[in-house]
Amino acid sequence: MIEVNDLTKYFGNLCAVDHVSLHVENGIFGLLGPNGAGKSTIVRILSTLLKPTGGNATICGYDLAREPKKVREVISYVPQEMALDIKLTGRENALLYAKLYGIADRSRKVDEVLELMELTARSDDLVRTYSGGMRRRLELAQALVHEPEVLFLDEPTLGLDVAARTKIWRHILSLQEQGIVIFMTTHYMEEADEYCDTVAIIDHGRIVALDTPERLKSEMEGEKTSLNDVFIDRVTTPEEESVFDGYKFRTMLRRRR
Amino acid sequence: MNATWYYFERDLVKWIRGKVTVFSHLVTPAAWLIFVGLTLPVTFTDNYLEYLTPGIMVMSVLFAALQSGNLVIFDKVLGFLNKFFAMPPPRESYLFGTILFITFRGMIQATVIFCVAVLLGITIYSLKSVLLTYVVLFLFGILFASIATTIALAVDDHDGYAAINSMISMPLFFTSTALMPYDKMPDWLQMVASVNPVSYAIDNARALLSGSDPVIGEIVMLAVGAVIVLTICSYLFRRATL
Ligand SMILES: Nc1ncnc2c1ncn2[C@@H]1O[C@H](COP(=O)(O)OP(=O)(O)O)[C@@H](O)[C@H]1O
Ligand SMILES: [Mg+2]
Repeated sequence: MIEVNDLTKYFGNLCAVDHVSLHVENGIFGLLGPNGAGKSTIVRILSTLLKPTGGNATICGYDLAREPKKVREVISYVPQEMALDIKLTGRENALLYAKLYGIADRSRKVDEVLELMELTARSDDLVRTYSGGMRRRLELAQALVHEPEVLFLDEPTLGLDVAARTKIWRHILSLQEQGIVIFMTTHYMEEADEYCDTVAIIDHGRIVALDTPERLKSEMEGEKTSLNDVFIDRVTTPEEESVFDGYKFRTMLRRRR
Repeated sequence: MNATWYYFERDLVKWIRGKVTVFSHLVTPAAWLIFVGLTLPVTFTDNYLEYLTPGIMVMSVLFAALQSGNLVIFDKVLGFLNKFFAMPPPRESYLFGTILFITFRGMIQATVIFCVAVLLGITIYSLKSVLLTYVVLFLFGILFASIATTIALAVDDHDGYAAINSMISMPLFFTSTALMPYDKMPDWLQMVASVNPVSYAIDNARALLSGSDPVIGEIVMLAVGAVIVLTICSYLFRRATL
């Protein structure tokens, strides 16, 4: 399904992705790593938005560099930041995607995906009135209108409360049961541990661990290890390298006013 | 091609839903026409309103187009382009849809001005001259909508864009034939005005709306300019990293 070979991406001198090779056949694949590790960059390359500096990948047999249009037809990409038109209704937002994907029977399809994401009751309300969790589910609905084979989700549960996160995960699991390959990033270790079939931990653009959560945990010494322990063990950089700069923060706040 | 229309439709519906914005977009240019056209003491013509109307129509298309680069900046900063460009339709369809919408909105504003001017008593010479005026406005709109989207693609934030916008829109307007004809201008201004595409649009709109023949050479220049900028803009859009 997803075949990644030696993928490398430089932004100027910064190596954001460093010779990454992966193979995902089915299930839920989780890409874990601290902020700035290169997770989003990998997802953006695989969804044809960025050209890699080196290496290549195929998705469903289509070559990323040579057949980007074919790749776009079989994937969906839901970016980290939520991008929905708040002046349009949920249905209108989903309908736009059905139109852009050229879906034949689009109003039926839109009804179907809205139903699937439990948005039917609110589908004719403006998105402005939606909660964060509903917005995320609407984005999933948009991503499903063309029945993709691979779904790229960049931090799908970021910034949601626990209930909303659980709900999103229930939906992701049911999509996986329908045979959609899920390729997602997260930095919530517990979620990856619970839901992902395979995880890769990346640090400074390089893969430092790649296996099932169970096996990664069993390789660790000690009684009750969690994926968190694996993460802390393998990742060299602390989450935030710079110390909190109180002065800069205050001047920034002052300028906002 | 269909995708172009869907993007156009998206912009249009979003615009219409913002009722206050629609109101201000339609009232502001009309206010310009009334205050400037009816109050300025001018001696080179006895019907300044008729002289000014084409200028204000072109001005509203110009300002509307340059301001609308913000649409692209929003879509870029908020992550819409990421989602759109990961879908099968080519990137240009987004670009063309947006440019068409920007031009269309400018032409609606111009129409409001035209209607107000007609109510205030300017003469309509023929239907053909009005239609040709709209062709000129369309070409002019495409030209500046393309310029605006190109700038928007290069700039990352609203403030930067607003700065560039105000840096070019006012000078373009005041160095054109919007407010006075070539022979009333000082020499240096005449030179600038004669290479200013805003003058080309205004000269033609003015000629057409007063019942004379259009300046074909200038229309051709507008069309060629629009095609060139649009081509450059498509090229940049295809290559852009977001
Ligand atoms: N467009 C870009 N230009 C320059 N540097 C970038 C760009 N996008 C990402 N980076 C850098 O690449 C690194 C990886 O970023 P990213 O993939 O967003 O990390 P993550 O999603 O894991 O938090 C970071 O150091 C980031 O600053
Ligand atoms: Mg990220």
